[in-house]
Amino acid sequence: MYARSTIVANRTGLHARPASDFIACASKFKSKITIKRVGEDDEANAKSIVMLLSLGLGQGTEVLLTAKGEDEVEAVDTLIELIDSKFGED
Amino acid sequence: MTFTGNPVSPGIATGPVFLYTPFKPQLEETLIPSDAVEENIKKYEDLREKARLELEAIHDKLEQDDPEKAKIFAAHKDILFDDAMDEEIRDAINYDYFSPEWAIQTTYEKFIRILSKAKDEIIRERVADLRDVRSRLIRIWFEVPEKNLSALEKPVVVVAHDLFPSDTATLDRSKVLAIVTEIGGPTSHSAIIARSYEIPAVLGLSDAMTLFADDQVVIVDACEGKVFTEADDALLAEYAQKREEYLVKAADLKKFRDVEPITKDGVRIKVEQNIGSADAMELEGATCTDGVGLFRTEFIYMGREQLPTEDEQVEIYKKVLNAFGERPMILRTMDIGGDKVLDCMELPKEENPFLGLRALRLSFAHPEIFKTQLRAAFRASVVGNLWIMFPMVGSMDDFRRAKAVVEEVKKELDEAGLPYSKDVKIGVMIEVPTLAVIADLIAKEADFCSVGTNDLTQYSTAVDRMNPSVSGYYQTFHPAMFRLIGHVIRSFDAEGKSSGVCGEMGGNPLTAAVLMGLGMRTLSMGIASVPSIKKLITNVTIPELEKLAATVVNLNTAAEVEEYLKKELAHVL
Repeated sequence: MYARSTIVANRTGLHARPASDFIACASKFKSKITIKRVGEDDEANAKSIVMLLSLGLGQGTEVLLTAKGEDEVEAVDTLIELIDSKFGED
Repeated sequence: MTFTGNPVSPGIATGPVFLYTPFKPQLEETLIPSDAVEENIKKYEDLREKARLELEAIHDKLEQDDPEKAKIFAAHKDILFDDAMDEEIRDAINYDYFSPEWAIQTTYEKFIRILSKAKDEIIRERVADLRDVRSRLIRIWFEVPEKNLSALEKPVVVVAHDLFPSDTATLDRSKVLAIVTEIGGPTSHSAIIARSYEIPAVLGLSDAMTLFADDQVVIVDACEGKVFTEADDALLAEYAQKREEYLVKAADLKKFRDVEPITKDGVRIKVEQNIGSADAMELEGATCTDGVGLFRTEFIYMGREQLPTEDEQVEIYKKVLNAFGERPMILRTMDIGGDKVLDCMELPKEENPFLGLRALRLSFAHPEIFKTQLRAAFRASVVGNLWIMFPMVGSMDDFRRAKAVVEEVKKELDEAGLPYSKDVKIGVMIEVPTLAVIADLIAKEADFCSVGTNDLTQYSTAVDRMNPSVSGYYQTFHPAMFRLIGHVIRSFDAEGKSSGVCGEMGGNPLTAAVLMGLGMRTLSMGIASVPSIKKLITNVTIPELEKLAATVVNLNTAAEVEEYLKKELAHVL
């Protein structure tokens, strides 16, 4: 298992297009990946757009990504990089 | 008969009703034999594949003409292939022996429930997308062809319980005269689509599906939110003319939205915007207004089970402040109580709610909620130009007490080391007549004021706005209103402080003209009124408005005032 956290920096947060981009990227990996708000228990399958949206992760939210599986490190690192890239906003 | 609903997309239309009932199957729990799991998983996959093809076909058809709408269907595809739902559907077939359609039905239901609990209203509204994808799957399961509003035989008024995005996306604009639905507010899919297509729409008209019959001719007045049935020739003629006038005016007005509001004699008037949901459409108004003259913060508290947190509020306030940059944003602290009921807060039942524990009074009764809002506002103030305004201030005591809470909040923020702007202005909403009368005193202590003309009229004329039997006594054009507001404007001018108006009188050209004549230089209104007010401003001079105002305050009756203004201002309406 591998986990890392970061802060959602783009303006729209993980909604709309950034959420779609995030799911598309997560779905490329074989590992089971979850995402949650740091400090809260509710976690979501990072490959599920519906679960991701239900978390309502806006700008400034600190999130924790956890993956388990053969490509867990690459999966988490790639997704963190995507969030940190602000999805091309700004 | 007249029925009313929410006017969400303006316009007027007359035509036969088309009751639109989307495919609605009766589903019940159906199990499969335990040895048929594999073939049913295959059936589910085929079903999903057919749905994918349909979605892609719609998407491709729309992509050229309407890329925004095409996106909705790309999002539907994301839902269709949602990993979590897919897994649950397969599990339900595999382990619970649910038939594919029942597995789909129950799994989607579960996720719809999860999403309905989201804090963000925008996300809650995505529930409509889930329902839509589910209906598509179920419809394909029953091998029913897609029925939509794209192949209407004649122009109709579409009446439905609610419209799904897929209903509206393929809708034939040339045949849909108007839309009436039983549910839906200004931010629903139906509303957004109706506005973008410029189709008149009245939503939230309860029981519309049973009140109207197929082919019954109705008049839809989506400027006022009214639908008329059994109209006689006179009414039909009246609305035919109103429709013509509306179309001409709408085309003409559009041109004024983006002009700079300067009078013919060179006086720059500030045209500000009232906002109440802070959605993308409202914030788009930042391109043509001078700021937010009234930010109604009530929506933050409505339709939810828990009170909004401080952080949540900071986020919303920052969003609006950011959109308007250096221009002022007047945040009105929560105006709740009276007739507005909250799920997240127990409110007492009162005989006369408008004269009861509402707005600032309620804030005083719940200091922790009040302070949370003020803390959030101050924390957000670092990104923009924040002004804070208190509603229902009736005396100097009220104002001083509210200001004391502001000082407490600032001290707490200092102690916590949290930054906030030192330039936040603190002002009052003038809507209780006693405060209007002592405007000269309050102007010495408040940084600014904004006149809430709806409540000021209600309290001055002693009329309950919600009681239809006395509505005739509610007189916006009452000469007393202009005398009273004139006193407010002069009082704030004398102290060199800003006064504005944020009620209906600011968005109605007739009354706005008088207010400008009385010296007001800031008008705030709903975005829809901006073009007509800018048209007024750019076509008049201050001396002619001053003359107008001087006449109005000496007329005897509201009817005389209205008639006089309509005549004098006919050329700029």
